[in-house]
Amino acid sequence: MGYRLKPKYFDDVLSALSKHYDIMAPALMPFETRHSAQEVVGYRKIESLKEIVVDKKTFFSPKEILFPPRETMFYFTDSKIRESEYEEKNKIILLRTCDLNGIERLKNMFLNNGDVKDNYFKRRFESTKFWLIECDDGFDSCFCASMNSNKADSYSTAIKFTEEDILVDSNDNMFSELFKSYGVEEDYKVSFIEKNKLEVKVPLSENINPAVFEHDIWQEYIKRCIACGRCNTSCISCSCFTTHDIIYDDNKRRGERRRVWAGCHLDNFSIMAGGHDYRTKNGERMRFKTMHKIYDYHKRFGKHMCVGCGRCDDVCPEYISFSKCINKLYDIIEKENDK
Amino acid sequence: MSNPYLPVEAKILSFKDETDIDRTYRIKCDIPVNGGQFFQVSLPGAGEAPISISDFNEDSVDLTIRNVGKLTTEIFKLKVGDKLFIRGPYGNGFNLAGLENKKLIVIAGGTGLAPVKNVINHFCKNRDKLKSFDLILGFKSPEDILFSKEIERWKSLIDVILTVDKGEKSWKGDTGLVTEYIKTLGIEAGPDYSVIVVGPPVMIKFTTMELLKNGISENQIIISLERNMSCGIGKCGHCKIDSRYVCLDGPVFDYIQAKNLID
Amino acid sequence: MSINRKIITKNAYRITKERGKTALRVRVPGGHLPVRHFETIKLIADKYGNGSVHITTRQGFEIPDIDFKYIPEINKIIRPVLEDLELSIGVDIVELHKGYPAAGTRNIAACIGNRVCPFANYDTTDMAISIEKEVFPNHYHVKIACTGCPNDCIKAHSQDFGIIGMTEPQYDESRCISCQACVKNCKKKVTEALTFKNYSVVRDEKRCIGCGECAMKCPVGAMTRSSKKYFSVVIMGRTGKKNPRLAMPFMKWAEKDVVIQVIKNTYPFIDKYIDKSLVKEHVGYIVDRVGYKKFKDIVLDGIEFNDELEVAESINFGGYWYERNNCFEKPV
Repeated sequence: MGYRLKPKYFDDVLSALSKHYDIMAPALMPFETRHSAQEVVGYRKIESLKEIVVDKKTFFSPKEILFPPRETMFYFTDSKIRESEYEEKNKIILLRTCDLNGIERLKNMFLNNGDVKDNYFKRRFESTKFWLIECDDGFDSCFCASMNSNKADSYSTAIKFTEEDILVDSNDNMFSELFKSYGVEEDYKVSFIEKNKLEVKVPLSENINPAVFEHDIWQEYIKRCIACGRCNTSCISCSCFTTHDIIYDDNKRRGERRRVWAGCHLDNFSIMAGGHDYRTKNGERMRFKTMHKIYDYHKRFGKHMCVGCGRCDDVCPEYISFSKCINKLYDIIEKENDK
Repeated sequence: MSNPYLPVEAKILSFKDETDIDRTYRIKCDIPVNGGQFFQVSLPGAGEAPISISDFNEDSVDLTIRNVGKLTTEIFKLKVGDKLFIRGPYGNGFNLAGLENKKLIVIAGGTGLAPVKNVINHFCKNRDKLKSFDLILGFKSPEDILFSKEIERWKSLIDVILTVDKGEKSWKGDTGLVTEYIKTLGIEAGPDYSVIVVGPPVMIKFTTMELLKNGISENQIIISLERNMSCGIGKCGHCKIDSRYVCLDGPVFDYIQAKNLID
Repeated sequence: MSINRKIITKNAYRITKERGKTALRVRVPGGHLPVRHFETIKLIADKYGNGSVHITTRQGFEIPDIDFKYIPEINKIIRPVLEDLELSIGVDIVELHKGYPAAGTRNIAACIGNRVCPFANYDTTDMAISIEKEVFPNHYHVKIACTGCPNDCIKAHSQDFGIIGMTEPQYDESRCISCQACVKNCKKKVTEALTFKNYSVVRDEKRCIGCGECAMKCPVGAMTRSSKKYFSVVIMGRTGKKNPRLAMPFMKWAEKDVVIQVIKNTYPFIDKYIDKSLVKEHVGYIVDRVGYKKFKDIVLDGIEFNDELEVAESINFGGYWYERNNCFEKPV
């Protein structure tokens, strides 16, 4: 059973919840990034409905809430090590289906790859509730349906923003109670996008052979890609990181080990001790990312890493389209296969 | 929940200079390990790096470290009794039982000898568990030879070819690449062989090609990959090749498995 | 033929080399023009001129080959352009039917600015219009241009007042992934104001020219733009037959109101110190004659400074003097 809420009552729900949760939603960021007088939609803490932006895709994904760009792992004083504390409030993240699936992809890496769990991700993930924003038509660069990530069920609450009201359906008792007291019952069930404007054909894993890695398709990106790394940083499923040790300026005996986002398109990602870098060309980096997103992750986890959110297309300053790259790859591979 | 990223202290029991830039540290460590595995070794403030286990016994582990960067420079300043910080061991290591009753050939290039040293020592001690045991060791120059004393000891127990790419006149031993010595082993194709190849990627590539020419089949070759492991627990993404994480699934791979891993 | 040259000139008509012919200069403050005004320009050029128009370096239009006698008629036709580009932005023109009331202070030019350009730090056209409103009409010869960033595509450095957009980089260390994109770029393309220390970015405020390149390069939004817009003002640049020189930095981190006020205050300065015996002494030569300090005192008088503002203590104008530039010889 769902509920229909008037905007002002939805605000009341948000304010009631804000005692226990930080509510993180797509909203205008308080800064301009690349260009002046250009609004940036991203994830931040919100307090009311009017702050939520649903008519634009976020430039950055909500992964930064669960996996911050920079995170202290532990502090040290001389040789004493102290784990970083976690004192943040529990969170509610309002996000779309692609991103919820993206977070599942992150979860695979941080919690299910190998026997050991990443406790920094875990402590954030376990104190977060996911509220799914129902998509209308999606955006021009979306291709979730092609990546089978247009549907999701691991959400606590589904929300539909209509012109007048807000429709909700929650699997969570606590939230349901709240919605009940602020809204009227209505038979609402979330519906999913079945088809995007953009269709991407993903080549079958079994058709990907070593020749594909050597194919000329990657040559193009040697020149086009400038290795700015925006495709990595905007991606919901990119989870790589690098650790750094910092000694504090004011006290040389103290410092911290922290991790920061890394990305296969950024320099220093594939560098070994002694300086050998095994992927220096930007075309090689494009290939590495592409294969990870639509081939080898799937071999390991049974699902494609790419969820088709299309952010990498939106943010690339060189107008490199990842969806187009996948389609080109598909054509090449299927042509080979036909022979 | 214990945090896998927090390193623990390990006291330096002794160390020994191998070359001008390689040094083997013996640290106090009673965690069970396998040869071929690695530790993430760090000094808070200087950083962390993967270092393979060159040997071990019940309460100590040997780490052979090449001084190539900020962290290793700091490590090289340490004295006996000082502490290193370690996490691990990580990776699979060599399966010793799987090698028993084989005709074992170990081919190691440069620092690639470190991860396989324990395997060599183990079978030198348990020579009877192998049908035959040959060792080809290659280094750039006589100055780069690691573990020279132990190599002398191995020479007294098994057949060892020690070659350098280039030696001065004073070098009396063999010269040339390891690949040139494979045919001298007199391999007769057969099911009993197991060959371990460890070293830089180019060396692995040409050595396996040469082995295949000499009657060894792909399924008899085991390699160990050098990669930039960082978290050691399959999270950070640095050591991923294809669908494999070297820190989890390697660094020791069957050649058949490894040859299909494309970066 | 009898015409009052001074009146004609102040009406934005030019004395041309051909006797009896004039040319009308249409100013486009900020260099951005609604295309409907092309109709008017076309009409004048077709009917009174020779069917062609010259695009001026100051982003205006000069319609040549017009008989002087048509001036009153043309002034009526040009009226909608004046109404739209001048009156509507707040320029005080009493007799609209009489055409341009002045031509001394030249059209305020602007690069395309942040409406289009990814580098620009502000809306240059908007700024130009704001200045136009304050300084036009005015007979003193002053050249002003607005450029979006220190790339200076409008050549603000050859103006009496060049206004260059600045943004103050905001560094959110908690978002920084230590990729050094900003640091490398600043070193390569700008002033090396950014350095990398302890895996974080340190900005040398003295070196930073507020160009915004770092914010453009940052892939995570750790380096962002300030919500406040700032300007640096370079002054007294010029071309000409005596001492061509680039404008020199006068103010940085100035707010819009400060910039406009300084320009406004320049007119009383000119009025007080101009040598009326000369034909038209340019403001740069007046500053040379009376000294930077006097200029500074007068133009800064009564202004409410923003906290971030910095003003040049002294200026060492460079450039070269044609008469002293004598080391030429025949090539051998």
